[in-house]
Amino acid sequence: MNAALALRGVDKSFGAQRAVAGLDLVVPKGETCGLIGPSGAGKSTTIRILMSILFADAGTVEVLGRASALEAKDRIGYLPEERGVYRKMRVGAFLDYLAGLKGVSAQQSQARSRDLLGRLGLQDVEKKKCEDLSKGMLQRVQFVASIVHQPELLILDEPFSGLDPVSVRLLKDVIAAERRRGTTILFSTHVMAQAEELCDRVVMIHKGRKVLDEPMAKLRRQFDVSRVLFEPLAPQPGDATELRGVPGVAAVAGTEGEYELRLVAGTDPAAVIREAVVRVLPARVEIARLRLEDLFVGIVKEAGQSEEALRQHLQGLTAGEGK
Amino acid sequence: MINLRRVGLVARRDFLVTVSNKGFLFGVLVMPLIMTVLIAMVPKMMAHSGTQVAVEVALIDHSGAVTEALRQELDPATLAAARAAQARQATGQLGPAGAGVARAAAAAQPDIPHFTLQALPPDATLESQKAWLIAENLGKYARRALVVVPAAAVLRTDGGFETYALYAPRNLPQDAEGILHDAVRQSLISARLRATGVDPALVRSATEVAPAHTELVSAGGKQQTGQGLNRALPFIMGVLMFMGIMMGGQSLMTSTVEEKSSRVVEVLLAAVSPLELMWGKLLGQMGVGLVSLGVYVALGVLALLQFAMIGLIDPLLILYLFLFFLMSYLVYGALMQTVGAAVNQMADAQSLLGPVMMLLVLPYILTIFVGGRPDAPFSVILSFVPPVNAFIMMARLASSSPPPVWQVLLSLLASLVAACTTVWFAAKVFRIGLLMHGKPPNIATLVKWARMS
Repeated sequence: MNAALALRGVDKSFGAQRAVAGLDLVVPKGETCGLIGPSGAGKSTTIRILMSILFADAGTVEVLGRASALEAKDRIGYLPEERGVYRKMRVGAFLDYLAGLKGVSAQQSQARSRDLLGRLGLQDVEKKKCEDLSKGMLQRVQFVASIVHQPELLILDEPFSGLDPVSVRLLKDVIAAERRRGTTILFSTHVMAQAEELCDRVVMIHKGRKVLDEPMAKLRRQFDVSRVLFEPLAPQPGDATELRGVPGVAAVAGTEGEYELRLVAGTDPAAVIREAVVRVLPARVEIARLRLEDLFVGIVKEAGQSEEALRQHLQGLTAGEGK
Repeated sequence: MINLRRVGLVARRDFLVTVSNKGFLFGVLVMPLIMTVLIAMVPKMMAHSGTQVAVEVALIDHSGAVTEALRQELDPATLAAARAAQARQATGQLGPAGAGVARAAAAAQPDIPHFTLQALPPDATLESQKAWLIAENLGKYARRALVVVPAAAVLRTDGGFETYALYAPRNLPQDAEGILHDAVRQSLISARLRATGVDPALVRSATEVAPAHTELVSAGGKQQTGQGLNRALPFIMGVLMFMGIMMGGQSLMTSTVEEKSSRVVEVLLAAVSPLELMWGKLLGQMGVGLVSLGVYVALGVLALLQFAMIGLIDPLLILYLFLFFLMSYLVYGALMQTVGAAVNQMADAQSLLGPVMMLLVLPYILTIFVGGRPDAPFSVILSFVPPVNAFIMMARLASSSPPPVWQVLLSLLASLVAACTTVWFAAKVFRIGLLMHGKPPNIATLVKWARMS
């Protein structure tokens, strides 16, 4: 596999706390990979190890074919979670400085910065001091700084946090453009909808361990057909019993207003829907889309149990694929 | 592997940001300028140039032996001769090369007041003369004074000699008061000598020795020295080193703390390695220190040229000053940078900065003692003990008895080893400290980080 980055058996502890434990992660070139997990899961530590800002206690790191990101810094774009700027510096000078550190000439940097700032709705801020910009504007400026040198690998740590919906859309458009350019993208988030929307692959880590590493398409195939949402037109007390009697339905959850039909593995959802609408007149019937959030919440809930129980839980969630 | 292009870019930015800062410009350029102007202007302003004060002196001479002597002492020709003698004395202390200073000092002195003496009858009293003494509307530069000399001030009694009294209103200038006291004292001495049958002129000539200066003798021949400057130069070298290091080191620490607290450091670490960032900042602020030192040295040289004393400074001394500065800066700068990387805000830096400041202030103070005893075992041994050795060696080099070249080179080598060791330690702590937040660490924690790294 032609990997843009690879971590193998990476361990990192801070005192007694093990932040990353035996992590294996491979992201092929050109792929967009979402690194998801709850706060404190080890996402930022993993990214910092990838960037050679922190160094692993054990394991190996390979970034763009090099043994360390230090040897490929000019080819990597990085937007850290803890974003900072030189507050007294002008936006244009700040971008030129960072681009210069990445080996981009001042002329190229100015042209690219102007273009990117324009695409992110930040025309006319080049001459302004960083301290004069709002938090959201600064975040977009920092995003420009991470891609102004046209990196081969883009690592974004929580890129959308704190942005308004319009800015999120603008940022997604630019990320999509980078993706089309062939850039490998790794971004961390705890907003599952963003991972669902943007990623080719999802890697979930929890308490420093990788608990899920699957292509998004595979996850969609697995989970799309496992649930059907049913909303009766005229709710009756016996609706739940009627729906539970539909062949292929394992369980019914919910109240009189809306039910979730959990299907037996391998059941054709179309057959279930046809039978269900005969028994109860529907106002709305919908095959539940994958909600990565459910997976996420499930894993976090399982965290209270043993590691073995957690793995069993995940195996249950991903069972069926590849059989 | 360090990328020199990145190091250069970081250094350039740090240097330009610091030297274009208003505080730096004020500290390095405006402050010395203001001080120079003040040094040049204040004596002239004090001198009331072109405004000679006229002092009417009333004398009640109960001895009857002082009046003529005092009249003689207050004569303009006598006063002018006394001032010329003072200038010669100053020239002698500074050496021939310091003649310019003596001339400048003489030029900055106020005009000699013009005294007129009026002898009053012995029955006059302070009370009867009080209205005359404090009279107003005398004119802008007219002043008055009353001297009372008792008979026992000239003729010895069982209780010894009595002294005189000088009465004056508040507006009598300090220099006129000083001249008047000196004149009365000289008059009394002359009167007492005459009363015992000794010629005052003979005593005066016997007690006066023309000033001479020390001539250093070495294999290379004789060299005249300026004792005053020789005494001050070791300390001046200490001050210059201290100021250069503080200028660079302080802004190095501040900018590191700012980058860490504003979180921009992680953005930087995505583009440069911690070692590149550290070296870039260290070199950038070294440039700041060099500019500060250069400005002060240039001003010093200008001042020496102005006073025709440039011959007292060996150009090699300035070269050594810059070499020892660079070595010391690396030691103290790296330590200050370590402190900056370890803390989250300037307020947290104080406890860690204390020992570093002690290490910096101690040798600076020692230069005063080392300058006076440059060959003492204490001075020689400390010349090789980092980090104080750079200050001590500079003080010895600037003293009247410079050390042999091998000692200077050995001291430079000791500084180089110290600089390498400190930068190595700083690099280890810097790498860990930059991303550490929370409780400020103590020195033991810094050592632990260095071992972890």
